Amino acid sequence: MTDTPKDAVHHGMNDGLHVHIERLGSALHALVSGLHLHVPPGEILTLMGPSGCGKSSVLAAIAGTLASVSEGLQPLQLQGSVQLNGRELAHLPTHQRGVGLVFQDALLFPHMTVAENLLFAVPVSDTRGNSSTNAQRQARVQQALQEAELTGMGERDPSTLSGGQRARVALMRALLAEPQALLLDEPFSKLDAALRAQLRPWVFAHVRERRIPVVLVTHDEQDVADPQRVVHLRAATEKGPAHV
Amino acid sequence: MPTVKVLGPLLLALIAAVPIGAALWAVGAQMLDAAAWQALWADPQTWRAWGMTLWTGLASTALAWITVAHVLASGFIRQQLGRWLSHLPALLATPHAAMAIGLVLWLSPSGWALRLVSPGLTGFDAPPPWFTTQDPWGLGLILALWLKEVPFLLWVAATQMQREDLRRRWQAEYALAQTLGRTPAQAFAQIIWPQLAPRLRWPLLAVLAYGLTVVDMALIIGPASPPTLAVLAWQWLSDADLLTQSQGVAAAGWLTGTVLVSGVLMVVVLKALAASRPFASRGLLLQTAEDRAAVFHRGRLSLPPNVVWTLILGTYAAVWFALTVGSVSGVWPFPQVWPELWTLGAWQQVASSAHTVWTTLGLGVASASVCLLWSVAWLELAPRRWQQALQPWFLLPLVLPSVLWVVGLYSLALHTRLEGQWLGLSLAHAVMVLPYVLLALVPAYQAVDPRQAALVASLGHGRWVYLWRVKWPLLKRAIASAWAVGFAVSVAQYLPTLYVGAGRFATVTTEAVTLAAGAQRSLMSAYAALQMLLPILAFALAAWLGRPRRFEKIAPMKATP
Repeated sequence: MTDTPKDAVHHGMNDGLHVHIERLGSALHALVSGLHLHVPPGEILTLMGPSGCGKSSVLAAIAGTLASVSEGLQPLQLQGSVQLNGRELAHLPTHQRGVGLVFQDALLFPHMTVAENLLFAVPVSDTRGNSSTNAQRQARVQQALQEAELTGMGERDPSTLSGGQRARVALMRALLAEPQALLLDEPFSKLDAALRAQLRPWVFAHVRERRIPVVLVTHDEQDVADPQRVVHLRAATEKGPAHV
Repeated sequence: MPTVKVLGPLLLALIAAVPIGAALWAVGAQMLDAAAWQALWADPQTWRAWGMTLWTGLASTALAWITVAHVLASGFIRQQLGRWLSHLPALLATPHAAMAIGLVLWLSPSGWALRLVSPGLTGFDAPPPWFTTQDPWGLGLILALWLKEVPFLLWVAATQMQREDLRRRWQAEYALAQTLGRTPAQAFAQIIWPQLAPRLRWPLLAVLAYGLTVVDMALIIGPASPPTLAVLAWQWLSDADLLTQSQGVAAAGWLTGTVLVSGVLMVVVLKALAASRPFASRGLLLQTAEDRAAVFHRGRLSLPPNVVWTLILGTYAAVWFALTVGSVSGVWPFPQVWPELWTLGAWQQVASSAHTVWTTLGLGVASASVCLLWSVAWLELAPRRWQQALQPWFLLPLVLPSVLWVVGLYSLALHTRLEGQWLGLSLAHAVMVLPYVLLALVPAYQAVDPRQAALVASLGHGRWVYLWRVKWPLLKRAIASAWAVGFAVSVAQYLPTLYVGAGRFATVTTEAVTLAAGAQRSLMSAYAALQMLLPILAFALAAWLGRPRRFEKIAPMKATP
């Protein structure tokens, strides 16, 4: 997962997500430094480490949401670069990055039905810039409901769904926005073990199908999607990450 | 880009802070008048009025604080707080002046309380020469203040306790404390109350300041000779003589000092009480009763209602009823319980001076809307640090006496040639309304999950989509009710309307307070009822606008994972 110099030369149209973090932290305190990640399309990289080691901050740096992570008065800042399919993201606002996010809470909008939550994510125009009709967008929502095994439940109040159903809607919503990379921030940690075991293969299958790079943050060894692609972050007090 | 990010909030801060600062500066300049202070000290009324001010203000605040602690504890332990507090908007919407007038209708020597027992029990055929309203001990004023301030404090507490994040955490901690062997009342007193009380400190300061400085209510139900210092200051300010006027300014300054010193003392006392563990572990004086109630609750027996809360609700209902009946009463000789003659004359008179109602509505809508727009813009744009640093400044109109503000705002209006103008008056209202709107909005804004913005952006939507389709729709209840609160505060303004409006604007409040000094019971009641009705309509509108979405009812199906 560390970039070889050869990789670095070949950053191009479809070579996935390259993250070079020289330093990530507040003015006084570095949370993560010297971290290099490369995730090819269709692969899932798992980022592990104890709480407080900056796992979620790494995701926020990739998604461009550092402002919403720093709860304290010291904002976190990134020195480094984030490249997605050859495009430098570090200076783009989140909504222009094409990076999807899924949190441990599904964060379904409570004032929208399940279908409206999904429709909210469907782009008004497709990747080639043609605007899609309402019927086309609705069709995509119905298809997503079907994939989430929630056919016929589109009109429901999201708060009436079970935890597993909510998690599936959250993932489908993120995918409907057609992200070019997806970040999963402890997506299973609020679910019980049995549900987690059911959901994991479903999630991995769906994200691999999209052929996009995926970063999964977890502290549970069982969540590891691909044992070949695991990065362990150490607690911030220690220097530097270790690679497996 | 960074300059825009700083300029916007800077501009907003200036818009709100400059009028406040300029008004304070103007009044401060007028206070540098040695002759006025000498006249104030030399006046024999000053010290007795000041004593009356301290007594009514401190007693009503202490009573309100104890009552609020009791009602919150009782409601929380019985898990009925939500239900109880659903009555709050109606209580909040009842303006101070209307409450005072309603109480007078009950308590005065010719009031309902005595009519109900006369001549049967008392043998009175004529109203006795009693001081049951405007009593020289200030008890009527204390009662009226207590009745008005308890709902206000409860409402502020509710904005905290109904925040999703706090609610969940406190429920869990409360349950945890009980597993550690605390009774429900102890758990509340030791875990919830110490976290809640500091959040109520600012509102409590406002209550104290209000109690020490209220004018309209004290004119109606407060003692007359001597009146409270605020009323005295107001009388001096409205005097034609210039020296008397500056004596009024000095009195306003003295009152401000009183508010500041007692505010500091109050915070010190509260902190000392919070730090003394024996007090906390005894659990708010109601331990045994509430613990028994909690046991009842577990046994699914119906609970006896909370006495204090029932009493407050009952008094409000009685006041509304008295205002309604009073406004349609004609001839009504003393011991009779009901009027001899019913008439809509008073309401016809109100209708014939419809411009009074329009002025009230216009001022309320304008000032509430301006303050809401400003507050939303401020909370969206200003960095959290700025908000925290400047919040006390914006809340100043809440804690400094209105006799002080009217002097400052009036001279500000004079400088800008806005005195007696609609624009000047509505801006003066806005200054008084702003802290309430801001206080109503801040908790809802603080409860917004920052991840939600990140999530919406990750779906490819910009800031405006987030605001219009997610954040504001989710906050619409808080936004609508903040507007209604602002409207209600504007409707209730008495001093600024008279003083900054230079007497050229009549609102339902100025009419009601003026009439309270006279003998036209029905017209006074009608204006007081209207003064109450307008805010209630605003709250009803806000409740309708802020109603949560109703989803299609679907038979709950067994959730599959």
